[in-house]
Amino acid sequence: MRSVRMAAALMVLDAGLAGMVWAQEQAPREAQPCFACHGERGQGTTQGPMLAGLSTQYIEAQIDHFISGQRSNPLMTPMAQAYTDLQLRRPVATYFASQGKLPELHVRGQLQAGSAAERLYYQGDITRGIPACYSCHGPSAVGGGPFPRLAGQQADYVSAQLLAWQKGERKGDPGNMMAAIAKRLSAEDIQALGRYLAAIQ
Amino acid sequence: MRSNRIWPMILLWCALPNLAQAVYPDMQEEIATQPKAADEHYFTPRDLSRIPSGAFGDKVRKGYELFVNTQQLKGRYVGNTLNCTNCHLDAGTKAYAAPMWAAYLAYPAFRKKDNRVNNFAERIQGCFNYSMNGKAPALDSPELVAMSAYSYWLLMGGLLDMFGMQDKPVPELDDKHLQLGGNDESFVLPGPLAGRVKMAGREHMPGRAFATLARPPEDASPSRGQQVYSQYCAVCHGDQGQGREMADVPVLPALWGAQSYNWGAGMHRVNTAATFIFENMPLGKGVQLSVQEAWDVAAFINSRERPQDPRFNGDLSSTAKAFHGADQGYYGKTVDGKALGSQAFPSGIQP
Repeated sequence: MRSVRMAAALMVLDAGLAGMVWAQEQAPREAQPCFACHGERGQGTTQGPMLAGLSTQYIEAQIDHFISGQRSNPLMTPMAQAYTDLQLRRPVATYFASQGKLPELHVRGQLQAGSAAERLYYQGDITRGIPACYSCHGPSAVGGGPFPRLAGQQADYVSAQLLAWQKGERKGDPGNMMAAIAKRLSAEDIQALGRYLAAIQ
Repeated sequence: MRSNRIWPMILLWCALPNLAQAVYPDMQEEIATQPKAADEHYFTPRDLSRIPSGAFGDKVRKGYELFVNTQQLKGRYVGNTLNCTNCHLDAGTKAYAAPMWAAYLAYPAFRKKDNRVNNFAERIQGCFNYSMNGKAPALDSPELVAMSAYSYWLLMGGLLDMFGMQDKPVPELDDKHLQLGGNDESFVLPGPLAGRVKMAGREHMPGRAFATLARPPEDASPSRGQQVYSQYCAVCHGDQGQGREMADVPVLPALWGAQSYNWGAGMHRVNTAATFIFENMPLGKGVQLSVQEAWDVAAFINSRERPQDPRFNGDLSSTAKAFHGADQGYYGKTVDGKALGSQAFPSGIQP
C-alpha cells in the first residue's frame, strides 16, 4: 500500500518536473516582439544585449526605467512603452530570467586575480574607493534581485552602460550606487571589465 | 613625506585619555571611535599579488581567503551567513571600517572584564563567537594563525611601503608571535623601520575601528529608522534584513534574524552600527546619510530579533543586566511591545 502511494507520488512529482521544463522551453506569446533584437532565448544579438539569466525583478525594473526616461534608447523606449501593463510584462521577464545556464561559480578569495579586471571584480581598488564588483553582482557575476547578471553579457554593451552611468545618461540604479562607482573607473577599466565579464561562461 | 603627517597624529592620540579601556562588561569590548585623519588613504596595504611564496605567504593567503569567504567554515566555526569582510570592508583594509592593519597593533590589550590581557587571536575568537554566531577555532589552529598572519602582513607591508621600502619583504613571524599581536613588548619593527615609527600610542593608529560620529539632534528612533531602511538599505539587505544570496552563495549580509550577528556582537550596539553606517553605507557611497538618519536606521536594525547572546543564563533581565548594562543596545528592552532577546533565534551553530 505504502509503495503504491510512493509510486503515485513519484509519478506526480515526475509530471510536475516535466511540466516545469516544458514551461521554460516554451516562450510566451508576449515575448515574441523581443526576439528580433534579444534572440529567442534571450541570448542577445548584434542589435540587443543578452537577457537570459537576468532576474525577473531587474528586467521589469529596466522596462520601467525606459518608460520613465531614466534609460533611453531609440529602439527600446517605444518597445518598453508597449509593456506598461504588468500582465504583459511579467511573463516576458519570467521567461528570459529562466533562460541561460549558470557559469562555473567562483566565490571571493578563490581566484588569484589573473587580470586587472578580475582584480577589480573580486577585490575592488581601495585607493580609488571602488568596492569589489562581487559585493553586489556575486560569484562569477551571476547577479540576483536588483543586481544584473553580467556573466556572458556582451562586452560592448557592458562598456557602453558603464560609460552611460559615468555621463549620467543612465539612471535608476538602487541608491545611485552604480553611477557613483562608474565615475571612479578609468576608460581602460571599462573596456577591460566589458571583455572580462563577457568571457565568463 | 607622508610619514611626517601620520605619526604626529598617533602621538596626539597617545596623549589623550585612553577611552578604549572604559569598563564595558562585554566580550566585544567597545573601542573608542576617533576623529577622521585628514588623509584617510595615508596607509595602503600591499596588493595581494605581493604576498610571498613559501610557508609564511601561504598562511597570509589562507587568511585572506578565510576573511572574504568565511562561509567555508559554516557549520564548523560559523553559524550564520556572514563573512568577515561584510563589516571589515575591502577585505579588512578600509580605514574606519575596522581595518585589520590597525587592529593588529592594538592587541594584546588588557580587558577589564576578566582582568587579563587578550591577544590578537583571542580577539578574533570573539568575532567567531558573537559576530559569526559560531564557535571559535582554537588558538594555534590553522585558521587563527592564518587570519593573524594576514592582518600582520597588511600592517607590515603597508608600513614598509609608506617608508619607501617597497622592495623589502615583510619579515616572517612564528605562529605564536603572529597570534600575539603588535601591541606586545616583544613586537619589534624590522631594522630600517625601527627608528622611524613611533611605537607609543600604536593602538590608536588612525583609521582604527570606526570614525567618531556626532550624537543625533534627536534621540535615535527605530520607527524613523524604518523609513530610512526602506529607502536606502532594503534594496541590498532585503525587506526582512535577510540579506541576499546569489546562486545559493550569501553575497549581501543579513542584518537581523537567524542568519545575522548575535546579541553579544559589538555591532548590536546602536552607536557602533551608526558610526559604521554613516561612514561606509551604502557601499561605495559612504557619508551620504545625515547623522540623524544613521542613528535612526542603526536603531531600527538593532531593535529587531537576532540570535541569542551566547552568555544568556536563562533569564533575560539578569543577562541584560550582567552583560548589557552599560551599552547602547536594545537587548532586554521593550520595542513594539516585545522585550528584545525574549524571542531570540538560537545562539551558535545549528545542526
